Amino acid sequence: MRKPFRARAVGAILGLALVATACGSGDGAEGGSPPEGDPIRVASFNFNESVIVAEIYAQGLEANGYTVERQLNLGNREVVKPALEAGEIDLVPEYTGSVGGFLEVEQSADPDTMWESARAAFEELGVTLLAFSPAQDKNAYVVTGETAEEFGLTTVSDLQPVAGELIFGGPPECPERPLCLQGLQEVYGLEFAEFVPLDAGGPITVAALEGGEIDVGLLFTTSGVIAANSWVSLEDDMGLNPAENIVPAIRTEVVDVYGDDLVTLLDSYSEALTTEVLTEMNARADLDQEDPALIAEEWLTDNGFIE
Amino acid sequence: MTTWESIQEFLSEPSTWSGPDSIWARLGEHIWVSVAAVIIAGLLVLPPAVWLGHIRRGSGIATAVVNVGRAVPSFGILAIAFLVLVQMGAGVGEPWAVLVALIALAAPPMFTNTVAGIQAVEAATVESARGMGLTEREVLTGVELPLSMRLMMEGLRIAFVQVIATATLGALVAWGGLGRYIVDGFARQDMGRLIVGAVLVGLLAIAAELGLSALQRATTPRGTRPAR
Repeated sequence: MRKPFRARAVGAILGLALVATACGSGDGAEGGSPPEGDPIRVASFNFNESVIVAEIYAQGLEANGYTVERQLNLGNREVVKPALEAGEIDLVPEYTGSVGGFLEVEQSADPDTMWESARAAFEELGVTLLAFSPAQDKNAYVVTGETAEEFGLTTVSDLQPVAGELIFGGPPECPERPLCLQGLQEVYGLEFAEFVPLDAGGPITVAALEGGEIDVGLLFTTSGVIAANSWVSLEDDMGLNPAENIVPAIRTEVVDVYGDDLVTLLDSYSEALTTEVLTEMNARADLDQEDPALIAEEWLTDNGFIE
Repeated sequence: MTTWESIQEFLSEPSTWSGPDSIWARLGEHIWVSVAAVIIAGLLVLPPAVWLGHIRRGSGIATAVVNVGRAVPSFGILAIAFLVLVQMGAGVGEPWAVLVALIALAAPPMFTNTVAGIQAVEAATVESARGMGLTEREVLTGVELPLSMRLMMEGLRIAFVQVIATATLGALVAWGGLGRYIVDGFARQDMGRLIVGAVLVGLLAIAAELGLSALQRATTPRGTRPAR
């Protein structure tokens, strides 16, 4: 659970470097021939689940003859999305609701509706959202078992009378995020006593919840640590969170170059991925500190995608 | 929003000027941790460094220490210290991991400059002091330390300026300090916050540089000052 910290930090630095070079020229990928075109640059966000899914894409592509460059643990969406639009990276596992929020489209709890509006908006920016996976991962507002008992918390609404006494911890970008503090304030009217900037559902947030430095922490619904610690993920009873299906976001130019073969391949991974399996893979990476690349490889093998 | 508007917006928020995330609070955290790191590093390395200088040994050690000190990444120490200390029960957001990393950063230049500074005192000068009947303690406090003061203060100045610049990394492991504005500004793509943070760290480092240069001049005996 503690190991990913350094990898994440390296990712943050890579992200900085990437922003610094983001003005560089994008290389034209026009007219390349299938599997022998430019390498496909696969990126991920700065948390384990994203790295695992990106590894699934990367290793699956490699096994089918594509050349892949990895830019894993790149950073948060503030870093990754511009990099994708600028053509610095080609493929990243996205979440329909979160990316929809960034694209400023209407949020919906229905997976199809959420995907369709995000897809349409992203298309204009030269990025294609392929078919979405049934696997979902939403933001989770988590308290320890003791906190839940002390204040009688089972839903996010239950926080309303006590939020003023509680400290909320999450990633530094949380105060500006519609699905984090902003949404908690607008939809639930929650004003916490204090916000503590930590990390994106990673080891620092977990340690802060464990140590009692924060009362409510932002984790992910597929986090393995929630069940392992008997923590309580507060139910989003007023529907702040939209559908958050995992979906490959890929530059349209790359789809045009490689065509249906590439799409079919990525679709097959999305179809096979489920929330349960994702949760289990996260637990192995977060709690047992298994290598995300090996976890991804095992999943591809178990599902018959590679030998 | 232009960068300039973004800076103005950040500077006009009430939370920028009062409360736990205000410039004053962050500046205070940044300064006290930096000062504490340099003082602790000094307490740890000055006694052995002064002794090694006095017995005129260990110039090899001094070089090795500064080289290793340069090679070890502060961020690596910070990350390891954070994980170890949290497992030992330290709270997230407490400054201990940052202190460890900054002490490790501050120690090498102070150690090396002290050893080298004392050894740079001419052997003939030290011998004549002994010949005049000064005790070893008097040789050290009356001759070697004053004559090496300029180099020792140089080490302190280098250490302090580096520490101020590096304390910004603390925000990556949930500590405060001025680095908070840089890390948060970057995560939120809030250019105003980021730039104000970076400028404040730069200004603080320059202020430390100027202040310690003045202190260095004031503590250097007239005869050992470099010619202008």
